[in-house]
Amino acid sequence: MAIVKAAATHQLYGELKAIVGQERVNDNQVIISAYSKDACHLEAERPGIVVMPKSVEEVQDIVRLCARSKTPIVPAGGRNGICGACLPRVPNVVMLDMVKMDRIIKIDEDVMTVTVEAGLRWAELIHRLNEKGYKLGFRGPYGGNVGTVGGSTSINSIGYAASKYGPSTEGVVSFEVVLASGNVVQTGTGWNPDAQLFGRYSTFFDMTGIFSGDHGTLGVKTKVTLKIYPKADYYTYGDFGFKTLEDATEAFLEVQKRGFTEELNLLVDRQSTETFFPGFLGKHPEINAMFASIVQETDQQLANRKMELIREIALKHAGKDLGNFASQMHWSEMFNLVQPLYNNGFWLNTCHLRPIPTIPIVMKRIWAIFKKHKLLENDIKYIASCLGSERAYATGWITIFIPTKEKMEYGLKVWNEMLDAIMDTGACPYWMGLLWEDRVLKKVRKPFIDTYWKIKQALDPDNIFAPEVFRGGP
Amino acid sequence: MTIKLENLSKYEDELWLCARCGDCSLADKTVASNRDVYLPCAIKNVLGFEAYASRGRIMIMNDLLTERLPLDNDIRDWAYTCTTCKNCMETCTATADGINLPDMMEALRKDLVANNFDMPKHREIEASINEFGNPYKEPADKRLALFGKREWPETAPVIYYVGCTSSYREKGIAKTTIELFDKLGVDYTVLPNEQCCGSVLLRLGRTKSFARLTKSNLEQMKAAGAETIVTACAGCFRTWKVDVPKEGFEYDFDILHIAEYLDRLIQEGKAAFESPKSITVTYHDPCHLGRHAEVYEAPRRVIEAVENVTLIEMETNKRYAHCCGSGGGVKGSYGELADEVAGNRMKEAQETGASLLVTACPFCHRGLEDGGRSIESDLPVVDLTEFILPFVKQVKKKKAVTESPLKKKFMEYLGNHPLIFDGLKKGAVIDYDLEGDRFHVLVTGRNEIQVNPVRAENPDVELLFAPKAVEELITYNSEGEYAARFGFLFKEPTDEKWIKFVLRLNIVKLLMKGYRKFAQKAGLL
Repeated sequence: MAIVKAAATHQLYGELKAIVGQERVNDNQVIISAYSKDACHLEAERPGIVVMPKSVEEVQDIVRLCARSKTPIVPAGGRNGICGACLPRVPNVVMLDMVKMDRIIKIDEDVMTVTVEAGLRWAELIHRLNEKGYKLGFRGPYGGNVGTVGGSTSINSIGYAASKYGPSTEGVVSFEVVLASGNVVQTGTGWNPDAQLFGRYSTFFDMTGIFSGDHGTLGVKTKVTLKIYPKADYYTYGDFGFKTLEDATEAFLEVQKRGFTEELNLLVDRQSTETFFPGFLGKHPEINAMFASIVQETDQQLANRKMELIREIALKHAGKDLGNFASQMHWSEMFNLVQPLYNNGFWLNTCHLRPIPTIPIVMKRIWAIFKKHKLLENDIKYIASCLGSERAYATGWITIFIPTKEKMEYGLKVWNEMLDAIMDTGACPYWMGLLWEDRVLKKVRKPFIDTYWKIKQALDPDNIFAPEVFRGGP
Repeated sequence: MTIKLENLSKYEDELWLCARCGDCSLADKTVASNRDVYLPCAIKNVLGFEAYASRGRIMIMNDLLTERLPLDNDIRDWAYTCTTCKNCMETCTATADGINLPDMMEALRKDLVANNFDMPKHREIEASINEFGNPYKEPADKRLALFGKREWPETAPVIYYVGCTSSYREKGIAKTTIELFDKLGVDYTVLPNEQCCGSVLLRLGRTKSFARLTKSNLEQMKAAGAETIVTACAGCFRTWKVDVPKEGFEYDFDILHIAEYLDRLIQEGKAAFESPKSITVTYHDPCHLGRHAEVYEAPRRVIEAVENVTLIEMETNKRYAHCCGSGGGVKGSYGELADEVAGNRMKEAQETGASLLVTACPFCHRGLEDGGRSIESDLPVVDLTEFILPFVKQVKKKKAVTESPLKKKFMEYLGNHPLIFDGLKKGAVIDYDLEGDRFHVLVTGRNEIQVNPVRAENPDVELLFAPKAVEELITYNSEGEYAARFGFLFKEPTDEKWIKFVLRLNIVKLLMKGYRKFAQKAGLL
């Protein structure tokens, strides 16, 4: 049933309709409008037509059709990324809305993996695994209610449980990818048709790595196989405050190095804590920075002991025990932690990765920018939060919230200065998208980007997958 | 001719606050706060494209306001696919109350009508209401014909507001309602010239006649000496309870849905029910009764008050119950779509294994039956009144409800220590859970509370206590000691003594209701 009828003007409409049926393809501008943005403010081209495949065979047929006709194709998952990664750069694109491909294919308890279709949302996957007594490593970006496994692993998303498990792509064992030829490749141990999908690094090179973070430019992911772990039911929580960001950072680094935490979140100043948990530091006027730590273990004593050790580290660095309300809230609200922040206005994000010791360095620059532009006096709130990530680095999530459309121009000015400061201080964004692309391309070493283009040329010679990505924003 | 979106443009600031997180569209077994949101948009679940879920609708509305998209028949067709069920708004945590997509859609519909982009069918509905007082082109003087030649008292404390759908289409519901009232000895009457409540007009954006209809009904209600208006239609209930005051009308009678009225009778010991056989039922929350008017528990208490009846919940229920697909003008505009949405809801009902699906709205009843037929389901759908009528029994001396002694003590303790809730605004409501047994505290004023022995309809926060924690807490004389110990037991739980919480509102809304002070006193902040 199609209420808003297709315009049927896209040159591939008829053939796409033959592949998926009338109800799952549409090029009416009303339908297209709803695919024109992700969760950031950036805009690019609108898709020419939207298709919702249900199977890898349909994806293959669509890719072959696009390859034959040299029509660009962009896959999209939950479309709540915040860098414009799923937005087309050229007109007339066939956008694949992957959310109907959301089955769990197999939980393989022998080898502790789960294989899912790429359009499955993280929150659903967590629930399903939980029912069976398992958990994931990386658990999903903060938008994991809606963010898909395929989408996240295409842009190196990072988020829940990164402290222990790193970004989304660390947990990937294998991808099933539809290539520009329409052929399907299975990476990891998937090279062997008689083998289970149990390992990423096997026999050949790390083909899984080639497609990790490719921003949809090298193929369409149709399945993802992830590592799973036994469910761990014992949690301990701890919030620790510090007079200076330097002290907080040192403690944060030590805790992250020691690998105790499932999640470790640093809030760099009072304003950040106030934005996240209003009033939390009301009784602690001397505290300027804090971190929230969450331990998850299969044994209560182990969980308790790890938190004791974290506490010792915090106190060693002149920290103060603030209880555990913030960390409990942080974990229990999981994929609904950031949405209440929208109440402050539309967000401008600067998500990136950096070595933990550089956090105070970048924050000095950022605070100077905020002061120069009188941010708070102009009613623009901000948050600067850093998640610890596996082998001792952190995300930097420094975000400003623009309360009204009228203040957007001013906000963008501040935001652009922030992006420059962040890049100047040793950052590497985890995803690129439209948000970071210009700045990254100015900095990237030539052999690195040249190697990418050789791979792209080899895998997608007609440049049908997400063309113009990694060339610089519009 | 320049097209003005006078009504929709009032929502520009709110539209700005949507950051397109997509929860309204795809939130899928969300892990946050144990919320059982599951693919909330029943329409998108059928039609598939993002344009039909709140996030996509907001993008389209922004395009309309910036004139990137023209107002045309495609927009019209799209605009009337929304049932305005409010599941998206309930799911949304971007603002204190969630982004108000239902109101925005109704505003856009007003603009569509004002700019002559409306559906012929809708014009007919409005004309019918203007001429006949109902949307079905049925003669006004036949409205009460379903009750036969019965003589109605001119005045009574209870007015049964029948509603158009029950009067002319789902007549079984009206008949069983009055039979129920008669059996229970209710002193009631009906309005001599009941007019449509106007709900369908509000939903379709055709609001010109609403005031006239409301005035006529209000005059009759006052003339009838109404103290309580009871209706068995969720749509009428929502209109009277929510929309009529919103449109600026005042009245001094109680508006109750039949579920609330029966619940009250049961609690007062004036009604009792028993099924001769053991049966398992499930319940569908009508959107107008549930999300729009926040009545979730009363129908459940009524169902569970019937002896030998077990209630099993569907996968999505209460605040996040999937819509049946009939509301917001969808049934009339896109029957096939409504049937498919209802078919999905019937599948959810079937999956419970219940032998009966109960609902509390004639429109849901009709829609679900149609949806059941479309999937060849043999699960019977009955209205609450039809369900309960056969089970009316003689009220024996009211059995004293045996509350657990600890629950009673805890309730008494809190009732005697209202300062524990100091700082919470009027209307704040907290559910207390002691091993599954629930009561709630409602803040009724500054340092005034009501402690009620049942689960709240829509708590802000749920607090769960281990019994040993409660045994300790009720030994403290002062509120300060209580708060301090409360905070300690939360922060440093043991296996025997612990306190947990589940937030049911987003942080912004909680702070607005005064929970910051509450948390600070407990040492949580």
